[in-house]
Amino acid sequence: MRWRMRQAAGPALLLFLLLAGFAAAGHAKEEGDLSIESLKCLQCHGKKGIVYKFQSDETVEAFVNPAKYKMSVHGFLSCSRCHTDFSTDHHASRNFRNKVQYRVKASAVCRGCHTPDQIKSKSVHADLLTKEKEGASPICTDCHDAHSVTPVAGGKIIRSETEYCMKCHQQKMTMTCRNGDKIALNVANSFSEGNAHDKLRCSDCHYGFSSEEHPKRNFRSRRDYTIASSESCRRCHFDKYTKTLDSVHYTILSQGNLTAPVCNDCHGSHQIPHISRGVKGRVLTTQRCRKCHEEVFGVYAKSVHGSALFNEQNTDVPICIDCHTAHDTENPLTLEYHERIPQMCGNCHANPAVVSKYGLSTEVLNAYLTDFHGVTLGLYKKQREQLYKPARPIAVCTDCHGTHNIASSISSDPAYVKANLVKRCQKCHKDANENFPNAWLSHYKPSLTKFPLIFLVSTAYKIFIPIMGLGLLLQIFLHIWRYAVNR
Amino acid sequence: MTTGKDTVMEKGKRKIRRFSTFRIVEHWMIVMSSAVLLATGLCQRFWHVESAQWFILKLGGIDSVRLIHRYAGVFFTMEILVHVGVAFAGVAARKWDSSMFITRDDLIAAIHNIRYYFGLEDHAARCDRYDYMEKFEYWTILIGGFLMIGTGAVLWLPTTVTRILPGEIIPAAKVLHSNEAMLIFLINAIWHIYNSIFSPEVFPLDTSIFTGYISRERMLREHPLELARIEGVGPDDLLGDGLKEEESPADPAGTAQTAGGGERVPR
Repeated sequence: MRWRMRQAAGPALLLFLLLAGFAAAGHAKEEGDLSIESLKCLQCHGKKGIVYKFQSDETVEAFVNPAKYKMSVHGFLSCSRCHTDFSTDHHASRNFRNKVQYRVKASAVCRGCHTPDQIKSKSVHADLLTKEKEGASPICTDCHDAHSVTPVAGGKIIRSETEYCMKCHQQKMTMTCRNGDKIALNVANSFSEGNAHDKLRCSDCHYGFSSEEHPKRNFRSRRDYTIASSESCRRCHFDKYTKTLDSVHYTILSQGNLTAPVCNDCHGSHQIPHISRGVKGRVLTTQRCRKCHEEVFGVYAKSVHGSALFNEQNTDVPICIDCHTAHDTENPLTLEYHERIPQMCGNCHANPAVVSKYGLSTEVLNAYLTDFHGVTLGLYKKQREQLYKPARPIAVCTDCHGTHNIASSISSDPAYVKANLVKRCQKCHKDANENFPNAWLSHYKPSLTKFPLIFLVSTAYKIFIPIMGLGLLLQIFLHIWRYAVNR
Repeated sequence: MTTGKDTVMEKGKRKIRRFSTFRIVEHWMIVMSSAVLLATGLCQRFWHVESAQWFILKLGGIDSVRLIHRYAGVFFTMEILVHVGVAFAGVAARKWDSSMFITRDDLIAAIHNIRYYFGLEDHAARCDRYDYMEKFEYWTILIGGFLMIGTGAVLWLPTTVTRILPGEIIPAAKVLHSNEAMLIFLINAIWHIYNSIFSPEVFPLDTSIFTGYISRERMLREHPLELARIEGVGPDDLLGDGLKEEESPADPAGTAQTAGGGERVPR
């Protein structure tokens, strides 16, 4: 062993003895806590600057903070109780390959006093002991500091619960599920300042855990663990949790499909970002859905909406959750969902603030709702709600414009649109031919230039009906008047 | 038919046969089918009104309403076809004179009546079997009926129609169907209901289309030319019953044409 003294020991020893003399006068009791041997060792090791170098060129500082040591649970012990090769008159020379080898050796010393039974009584050690049986060597000092060990229940040197937990959970460790899945318990890398939950304590989510309690958990699989931990979210986010109970995701989960997403699949666990309504947040949201809905995402990304989002960073275009909602995501194949589609599209397409700048008409929703299909749709909805009577699906926006693959109506080839329209018409109107789609006025209001026949008929009646009505009323009035005069 | 058979005495008043049983039944049929068509049609036109939606749901939903409307339409179409068929047959066989056709005299009578209302004439226009007001109503409803039937068929069978006609015909038919319905509804609601219920001449109800008979007193006032013909006298002979002596009948030509018309079939 090559201990290198970087500072002269003599003046320091003198100073220490002097200080010790003063301290002895005022704080006899406290000083009495450190043994003679310890005081002697600390003459050198109580100062910074002594560095030990391993064969691997790693180094360790051989400094012990006297104050912390004195306050530690082991403060009453002499140094040689742990450093067995050393004494006041013998400074052993040892040689270690690397730091790990040294630490493993040092941990073995702890086990001289702390029996396996004592260690096992804390469930936090269970995983370590299992690993030890498999041949791994747990290192006590990973969690318990070497010279400032405080009573575990006291936690005096740990300022916060997070710090207490991170004492262990910054280490690389895993939990093994019954099916053999490994779950990493190291959260250091995924936990940082600035995440949405950085003001929370660990036990706010990991309830049941504290500095006193560390229950042993046993999960069938990694997925089971994820699903179970998502339950923590509802303690604070009860509104969102309640909504998820109505979602198609929850439905398929409750049917036994464990791949259905739960809170932390989308939001993450330790690194939860703040909700952002900017482009970045909206893109991120689509990426979350993409994790499972890759195919739909691909179609959406090419659509007029998706390409505007990804290529132009446009925040006006809808992302997945604008139509499907985030928490109470409904099964989009139901009639109820289908009925709401015009309103969904109308949220933007009837809002001048959103669509006017793209040269789109805000009349489209009204044009649809007041036409045959829109009226029927509205009445079917009432009929279903009030008479509990099933209704047939009626063509809505997506039936002609597409769903995830919506193309721009301005740049689309009219012939292509019409060909598609005939196919869609034929789904309900079996014998429709290429003339038939023209029965739909494409959201236009009839005018002299667009659909003049309809415009003229409508205008003629607008003039004729009031004239006729007034004429008849006038005739009636005159008749009554004449009758009254004649009497 | 003779004049005597067409006339009965009721409570000391003479009543004259105006409508045959066929016309009474026909009127009832039109009343019922029109009522059903208007009820099921107006609620579709005013679908956005709360009470219209209530009515639609009461009938079991929009599909039921459309079904009822279409079958009532079929019923109405048959009535119109029978009516026109019978009229054609009647006129073609020369047994009836075409008393419902609009003539120049109707225009003269209308102007005469307007002048009378303003006090420029001292008696109302003297009319034959059907006055100009009745003819106006009849023709608006008959022509309107054909328009309704045609456009209704287009709306019922849009895919069949668009095989030969352009697609725009469907919304055009819808606009026409819906507006023409409003027109017919207004004429009925304002004009017909006034003339047959609220007009002081007939209030509380003109019962002639239900009983088939009209009082001679009303005939004299409203259809003097026909009364004269029925009674086999010239219009001037009825002067004692109330027609003004100094005025000649509005339609001397018509009188000449139909005088002594004992062979008429009631219509």
